[in-house]
Amino acid sequence: MNQARAILWAQWRSLRNFFPRKGVGWTAIVGLIWYGFWVAAALAVMLLTSSPLSTSLSGVFLLVFLYWQVVPVLMATSGASVDLRKLQAYPIPVKQLFGLEVMLRVTVAVEVVLVLTGAGIGILRNPSLHPWNALALVPFAAFNLVLGVGTRDTIARVLARRRIREAAFFLLILCAAVPQMLFTRGQGSAGRLRTLFTRASWTGWPWTATADFLQGHGQLRSFAIILAWLAAAGLFSYWQFRRTIFFDAQAASARSSGDSAASRFVEQFVERFFRMPSILLGDPLGALVEKEVRFLTRSPRFRLVFLMGFTFGLLIWLPVALGRQGASQSFLGSNYLTVVSVYSLILMSEACFWNFFGFDRSAAQFYFLAPVAFSTVVIGKNLTALFFIALEIGTIAVVCGLLGMPMRPDTLAESFSVAAVISVFMLAAGNQLSIRQPRAMNPAASFRSGASGRVQAIMFVIWPIAFVPVGLAYLARYAFASESAFFAVLAVDAAIGAVVYKLSLDSAVVVADHLKEQVVAALSQGEGPITA
Amino acid sequence: MSDFSRDTAPAIEVRDLRKLYDQKAAVDGLTLSVPRGCFFGFLGPNGAGKTTTIKMLMGLATPTSGSIRLLGLPMPEEGLAIKRQIGLVPDESLLFDHLTGGEFIEFVGRIYGLERSVAKERSQELLNLFELGDASRKLIAEYSKGMRKRVAMAAALIHRPQLFLMDEPFEGVDAVGARLMKDILLEQVRHGATIFLTSHVLEVVERLCDRVAIINDGKLVREGSMEELRGSSATLEDAFVRAVGVGTLRETLDWL
Repeated sequence: MNQARAILWAQWRSLRNFFPRKGVGWTAIVGLIWYGFWVAAALAVMLLTSSPLSTSLSGVFLLVFLYWQVVPVLMATSGASVDLRKLQAYPIPVKQLFGLEVMLRVTVAVEVVLVLTGAGIGILRNPSLHPWNALALVPFAAFNLVLGVGTRDTIARVLARRRIREAAFFLLILCAAVPQMLFTRGQGSAGRLRTLFTRASWTGWPWTATADFLQGHGQLRSFAIILAWLAAAGLFSYWQFRRTIFFDAQAASARSSGDSAASRFVEQFVERFFRMPSILLGDPLGALVEKEVRFLTRSPRFRLVFLMGFTFGLLIWLPVALGRQGASQSFLGSNYLTVVSVYSLILMSEACFWNFFGFDRSAAQFYFLAPVAFSTVVIGKNLTALFFIALEIGTIAVVCGLLGMPMRPDTLAESFSVAAVISVFMLAAGNQLSIRQPRAMNPAASFRSGASGRVQAIMFVIWPIAFVPVGLAYLARYAFASESAFFAVLAVDAAIGAVVYKLSLDSAVVVADHLKEQVVAALSQGEGPITA
Repeated sequence: MSDFSRDTAPAIEVRDLRKLYDQKAAVDGLTLSVPRGCFFGFLGPNGAGKTTTIKMLMGLATPTSGSIRLLGLPMPEEGLAIKRQIGLVPDESLLFDHLTGGEFIEFVGRIYGLERSVAKERSQELLNLFELGDASRKLIAEYSKGMRKRVAMAAALIHRPQLFLMDEPFEGVDAVGARLMKDILLEQVRHGATIFLTSHVLEVVERLCDRVAIINDGKLVREGSMEELRGSSATLEDAFVRAVGVGTLRETLDWL
């Protein structure tokens, strides 16, 4: 326990030392809005559970379970976690590291911990329930914490393995798409899926057992079921954690220098892809963009979000878009390409917009030293972002075409125009943030450290603002029932976006000159014993 | 193995150690024995396999095959017991940048099981010994490369280990700092500790080490005492260049 205490102490000191040097205002505002929303949700759950319950809470607990286990995977975030790379060299028993790791799973779902707390307080205040019933929440929360470690470790390790990671990734996507498939296949499947959220579902599920215990149904049996799930999750996660400790990521991702004709062909093809920007752009801009394209393509983190951008978007939304009425009948079906394109923008936003220095932090110093105008460097970063966005949407469009989704020239034009307008505004905002708030990232890690909630919180605040200009275009389409009005407003948006972008670029260049020491220092910093 | 034989066993014993990265051997059949109380230099050109070897000794990488025994105990089976007895000066990226030098040393002390008050007291003494007292309130992120190496070495000493594993401990350290570190290390060897270090600074190795091994392309090419290794060569540098088989400029570039 002393070692665990020492790690927590060192982490606390790291945070204390770090935060006064960085602006906390932004983090505080975002946190206040995001967690304020969840406190309100917790209060609502507390009110719901403090009076006699007429319906089962099974659905609420299933949602909690899904948020805890699935959202981090969808957002490709791992939350705060013990930095095994740094701590492995020291004599710390695996069990202690595992215990810490389990506790840290709270950070991926602080939101649902608030909701569970609300439910607990409500049950304590509920006159028709025994206060001890609230105890069921403890093993349920523990089960989620423990299972979270196993899920994260398994996925992270599989994604680190060369050759099998792509196959594993597609398997993961297919699993994620199963509920939607079931939901849209027909009344029977949808009904079975809906049953999962009610008390009529199998009583052996941990969420159903927790709800049963809370509401006083078969308490002994329910409690035994929850404990059995907890024990199973513990065994699975400890096994996975041990495997992660002894996992050799370097060996798993090592590439052989293939000398066959096939590998030479692939190499030539990839090389041509890398050289594409230089065909259109003269140096130094061409060289900068080419370097960025090479770097991002080789970053496992970027590859993951790029792949997720169209695969998750396509597969998860496809069954819903197709629906039972067919693709052209539903709203999502007719706007499918645009919806998936915007989703992919959200996923790629960190590397493309918010923190463009963070991924290739070692290069930041070079950019300040190179005999190139800093504005050229920023434009190079922005053009790279646009290159990947265009590639992503192009890929989505091709796949949509193959799937037989409604694909007319105007839908294609709409998707590209909407993505372009949003991107211009996001680039303007991102150029400022990337220089004022640079954060060192590990491009080799598929899963991003940091709570998924924080990512969502940023989206919660920034994305609605970025969507306003595009929203106005849709409003114009609705009000005037005219495509011309829609595209005219988008054109005005684009013009305004270009002005905003230019102002932001000029300002970013001036700020970068003032802050270059801070930028380089921030990007060369590592973290504490716990990465967050 | 009995306590007696464990106490008399070599500090490091490596047999047929191999580490493959996708069929390419980074370390290829390395067999090595480092006696106790020895100052051992592990040399090799860039990419020879030095860091991979020291990572395997530290337990940061798993060998593909072969065996490692440190202080008579098998690695990784007795990893925890071994780690308690060794002091590490790893790659500097393993430091915690958001801690001050004092906080980092204290943290390492506590991880090795020292009482908090003892760890705190020793960390202050070590900071002063390594002439980092003035920088005790600075974050490690703000340290120069040489200061980072010094703080890593100070942290490695806090629990008085029997064996030190050091990866390029003198890299980026100025002459004064290097002299200070050398004196401290020699003092440790005089007290019976064993030091295994990798270094590119051949003059330092020549002055400090009793025994030296040279690795190239993952294979051990020479091993012996300093005198044996030098042989007919005037300096260790000559012997090193001869051992790894490169050296003279064979061609020049027209434009250079």
